[in-house]
Amino acid sequence: MKEYLSRHRFTRGRTDRLAVFGWLVIGLFVLSAVFAGFLAPYDHSAQSRTEPSASATAIHFSGLRPIIHPRLVEDPLRRTYTEDTSVAIPIEFIVRGYSYKLLGVTETDLHLFGVRNSSGIAARINLLGTDPLGRDRFSRLLYAMRFSLIVAFSGVLVACLVGILLGGVSGYAGRRVDMFLMGATDAMIALPTLILILGVRAAFPLELPMSRAALLLLLIFALTGWAEMARLTRGLVLSVRNREFVVAAVALGVSQTRVLFRHILPNILPSLRTQALLLLPTFLLAEVALSYLGVGLQEPEPSLGNMLTAASDLDQLRSQPFSVLSPALAVLLFTLGIRLIGKSDRP
Amino acid sequence: MMILIVSAVTFALLSFAGGDALTQLRDNPQISTETIERLRGVYGLDQPLPVRYFRWLSGAVTGDLGESTYFRVPVSGLVWARSTSTFLLGTAAFAIALTFAVPLSLIGVRYNSTTIAAFIDLLILVTASTPRIVLALVALAISVRLTASAIDWSSAFLFWLAALALSAPLISAFLAQFSGELQRTMQEDFIKLARAKGLSESAVIIRHAVRPALNPVLTIAGLSLGGVLGGSVIVESVLGRQGLGILMVSAVRGRDLPLVMGIVLFTSTAVWFGNALAELLQALNDKRIRDLSF
Repeated sequence: MKEYLSRHRFTRGRTDRLAVFGWLVIGLFVLSAVFAGFLAPYDHSAQSRTEPSASATAIHFSGLRPIIHPRLVEDPLRRTYTEDTSVAIPIEFIVRGYSYKLLGVTETDLHLFGVRNSSGIAARINLLGTDPLGRDRFSRLLYAMRFSLIVAFSGVLVACLVGILLGGVSGYAGRRVDMFLMGATDAMIALPTLILILGVRAAFPLELPMSRAALLLLLIFALTGWAEMARLTRGLVLSVRNREFVVAAVALGVSQTRVLFRHILPNILPSLRTQALLLLPTFLLAEVALSYLGVGLQEPEPSLGNMLTAASDLDQLRSQPFSVLSPALAVLLFTLGIRLIGKSDRP
Repeated sequence: MMILIVSAVTFALLSFAGGDALTQLRDNPQISTETIERLRGVYGLDQPLPVRYFRWLSGAVTGDLGESTYFRVPVSGLVWARSTSTFLLGTAAFAIALTFAVPLSLIGVRYNSTTIAAFIDLLILVTASTPRIVLALVALAISVRLTASAIDWSSAFLFWLAALALSAPLISAFLAQFSGELQRTMQEDFIKLARAKGLSESAVIIRHAVRPALNPVLTIAGLSLGGVLGGSVIVESVLGRQGLGILMVSAVRGRDLPLVMGIVLFTSTAVWFGNALAELLQALNDKRIRDLSF
């Protein structure tokens, strides 16, 4: 018994530490999504036609000051560049650049870091290189995280609303409704979701403006993603509905909707929250998959999915695999973070 | 029944959204509206929705899924031809997942050590949280690094790489389910009895614990079929392997509605069939289920 206890405490402590790490990762994600404008040195759609497909800018140190050298085109056809080591440009912190809206309200042009262009030398710092249109990949990644996270978060919200409603009704209403709804839920869970999503997507025009594409994704997510939530809610409602306080509420003549929403729902909310958390990566990945396949969020707006289409350019993938696959790394970190949180959050 | 509902809903959605293969012709100045209307009559697109659905359904029952508007060949033949490649990839993924999960779970329960348990936990965490698309892209990067030329699908190496990418979530699901179930089974009374008989620990596990622990794994395997089919869309698209997945993507992009319908129907049927197979295997494995249903 003693051994069991100590081992239990050990694993508990470890999962808690892992959960802290998970929260840290997710917190960083949310922060960089919120402050994308401040962290990104360039606008996500600003093109620099003279330096497409460049590799990451190397950061040197002169003394303790970080500096970069401007890029010189070596071969414009094969897109190779060299550094002009005769010029050193310091990297500065808190600099003025393009203007953006901080937190969606105040207009500002302050950025965390950047290089100033003095004496006619146009140097740019690209931490992850540039894409084939000469756009800064690091800035695009930050904005992509914002777009993808917004879609994933609202997708979870919509799917949860539908799922909790259907699951609650299923667990609380009569047998026939229950059987029908749970049949539909089981079918939904077993079906090849991505193929279904693509099928629904086929019903709508291929080219859509950003806001409508995002809205369409939400609609599709709500249509296909509610099942797991509904099943969980139903099970939880069933386990709570015969407890004394619910019976007491019913005996007092409280209306059915009120019992469901005021007495049952608050009791099962923690478990639902965990499930909602675990749904986040699912929706993020659905967005990534759809955008990668060219039927989700489309250029010029960056999303984690459509940035990854760059990987189909095999030459670029070969020469700078890390930069090209950096959105994939972001996705991986996000799913890992959520998993770690979910592991310890489980009641 | 479930397949019927799914096909009807998809069909209705596809039709309501408007825009069939002929919509694109409308922008063409050389083709008059009369011609389009006549063509609609030829293809039966001017009929009301239920009529069209039942026409499609009665064809589908006899294996006729109509003609792909893009490839100009019957959908059923096209889907059938491409499905073998996807089937192979999926089977390989299942095989990989089983070769990871089964021995590891057995070793884990045989040698009751914290190191192995921690390793299994870690493997579950890693495989569960690495998305297929990430793995597929890494596989692409690796194969591009190793081979100078374009991707060569005749190589067995790439095939197994793709199968590995497809199998990651399966590994975590099987491993978690099988090792957990084995642990639980080992607490049962009949295991104590087998030990009391004087059987060696390995014999106890192999002869008495594996069979009851196998059924939940079969359930999970059946449930994960849909995920494998969906994942094959990603893996095939990333790695450029011809299969159902790529066919689906090109059908969606080309608004090839008969083909979309055909693939949705085919994959739903395949999943249903797979689940039925899983249930059958469970019945073979467990006499109690067999007595209940036969």
